[in-house]
Amino acid sequence: MELTYSLIGVIGTLAVSFIVSLLLPGIERKFIHARIQQRVGPPITSPGVMAPIKFFFKQTIDPVSPMPRLYNALPLISLIIIIILLLLLIPQMYFLGALASIIAIIGLLKVEEIMYMFMGSLSKSVLSVRMPFPDRAKGAAHPDTPRTFFEELSSLRAFRLIAFGSFPIYIALFVAVAMTGSLYLSDIIAYQQTNGPILFTLAGALGAIVFFIGYMILLNEYPFSILKGKPDVVEGPYLEYAAKYRAYVYITRGFLMFTLATLFATLFLGIAPNILNPSFIVTLIVALLFPMIMAVMSAFSPIFTYKQFYPTVAGVSIIGVVAIVAALL
Amino acid sequence: MDDKKENRTVIEAEVPMGTVHPGALEPYRLRLFVEDEIVRDAEMTVGVNHRGVERIMEGLPVEKANSLTEKICGICSNIHIWNSCRVGEIALGIEVPERAVYIRVIMGELERLHSHILYLAHGCEVLGHETFSMRLFYIRETVMELLRMIGGNRVQYGSAVLGGVRPRCELDEMRIQKLTEGMNLLEEGLNDFANRFVSDPMVMSRITGVGVTSPEDALRLACSGPTLRATGVELDLRTEMFEYDPFEYDVITEDDGDVKSQLLTRVFENFESIKIIRQAIRNLPDGPITNRSWEMQDTPITKSYIEAPRGTLYHSYALEDGRVRNCVIRTPSMANIGAMQYSAIGHHITDAQLCIVQCDPCFTCTDRAIQIIKR
Repeated sequence: MELTYSLIGVIGTLAVSFIVSLLLPGIERKFIHARIQQRVGPPITSPGVMAPIKFFFKQTIDPVSPMPRLYNALPLISLIIIIILLLLLIPQMYFLGALASIIAIIGLLKVEEIMYMFMGSLSKSVLSVRMPFPDRAKGAAHPDTPRTFFEELSSLRAFRLIAFGSFPIYIALFVAVAMTGSLYLSDIIAYQQTNGPILFTLAGALGAIVFFIGYMILLNEYPFSILKGKPDVVEGPYLEYAAKYRAYVYITRGFLMFTLATLFATLFLGIAPNILNPSFIVTLIVALLFPMIMAVMSAFSPIFTYKQFYPTVAGVSIIGVVAIVAALL
Repeated sequence: MDDKKENRTVIEAEVPMGTVHPGALEPYRLRLFVEDEIVRDAEMTVGVNHRGVERIMEGLPVEKANSLTEKICGICSNIHIWNSCRVGEIALGIEVPERAVYIRVIMGELERLHSHILYLAHGCEVLGHETFSMRLFYIRETVMELLRMIGGNRVQYGSAVLGGVRPRCELDEMRIQKLTEGMNLLEEGLNDFANRFVSDPMVMSRITGVGVTSPEDALRLACSGPTLRATGVELDLRTEMFEYDPFEYDVITEDDGDVKSQLLTRVFENFESIKIIRQAIRNLPDGPITNRSWEMQDTPITKSYIEAPRGTLYHSYALEDGRVRNCVIRTPSMANIGAMQYSAIGHHITDAQLCIVQCDPCFTCTDRAIQIIKR
């Protein structure tokens, strides 16, 4: 009987999360971006539901890639990683021990980030070097210079994000660890059930700010969208995804938005995602609030270049370190 | 200039962009030679959208040829037909009625407003600030509706004809009232935008000190229009055009020559255009709007320069049996291309597209016939 309840809990949580995550991009665009920009905006179901459905029925293209099958499989692998991440956050899965810990979560998030590097390095779209244009005509400047694809550029940027850009979110994760003295999610939740949510402490509040900036960086949202900026690398690693593979990209993004918000609710509010627990409504509220706040921020910001990106990340990381110190004290 | 010298020895990689690129909106090929994402040299190529308008104009009756020039550009269509008519009027000695001159100025300034606001919106879009971009398009909508009210269309107005303006473009009381209200609305919207724009620290951080062109280099690269004035050079062809003699306005200049200066020059020029339009509708003279009393005759090649929204626009042609011969057109973007390539050097790739856009390029109208001189 207990096993049945657990299964219902896990499957139900996953199903509801999936449905909500499909609606998040639409809510973000319809109610925030469009309202701020004084336009009607798309229907709520358009970006997250209808667009992927449409893409599933479209004819795909063959990417110009040394490993086209791997390239096309990467969005699906990303989606699976995020599903595993969400599974590990569900309390019924805490019996897995070390897998339901901060270390496992960081590992999965890192794998997710590395996917962008692979995507970028495996794609060679027609928008840059392959464009049939006589660049090497007589009189052209620097005719023998090695040429780079947009995706290679975004792959390099993904590496920089791994090395530097994702500091804030990982530091924010360790605020909860420093506060509770445990790497295990079950202990972190138990601590908060006894002492109240970490969010309502100084360290927790600072950590929440840092987490939110990290959330935006991980989602490549304006102003931190250096991986896929329209003025230079266009869609970056996603440039050659078409049809069902692009549908996976859209679904993955929505699911990542939901999973990161769930992670926040778990670490800073002590509420694990569980459909059998009424507090699951708080997780859903957090999952709705995060994209909304993110949309407000991105609507009023230009895209950052490294000149703005590095100081912002450094500043936020310092706040994160202060939060950890405050948590330890 | 020394700090911007291209590095020919150590160039790590080339990043080619276009001729189709969503950040550009116009067809051009840009080759950026980079080291660690910093542009060390740039090469821009145009010519993929050449339509041969001059060749089509060759042998056409002058009225038809004039209306064809309007198809050169979708943004500054009015200024092309105005300048083309101006060539014919100078060559044939046609005196344009004063009321028609005023209406041409109103149309010209409305077009400058819509071009500048479009430029600002595109600049904000390349910056990644979609909200500013959207709001500017809303502000621009007022101008587009005023242009449609006078010319009958939102893009091709066909207002200027040889000897004046089309009867469709006559300004009655109702239109003057709408123009007055439109200018008030526009001024309010632009003021609001300008205040928000300059007080946004993140936007300022993206555009200050980026894509700097010194006045000496701007002159050496033969820049014109707002692109030149944003470097501090006070040169506006409107001050030399008899059409603008009755109007009082300031020639806007900025000192820094960077993207910020380029954007602000256009913002402030918008207010000057509003000022000119207000004067024109207040002092609009009575009388006919077209002079029909002229005779066609053969003329030698005649030139006319005019201050288009983007800079100096050149048209020239000769007339033979009422038909156009030896037509040459040069658009301002052709002169500004040098500055676009030059200003991108030393900046990050993301800023490179901004450096191109800051010169307000219009490559489809720049794709003109060129004459290769063999030496």
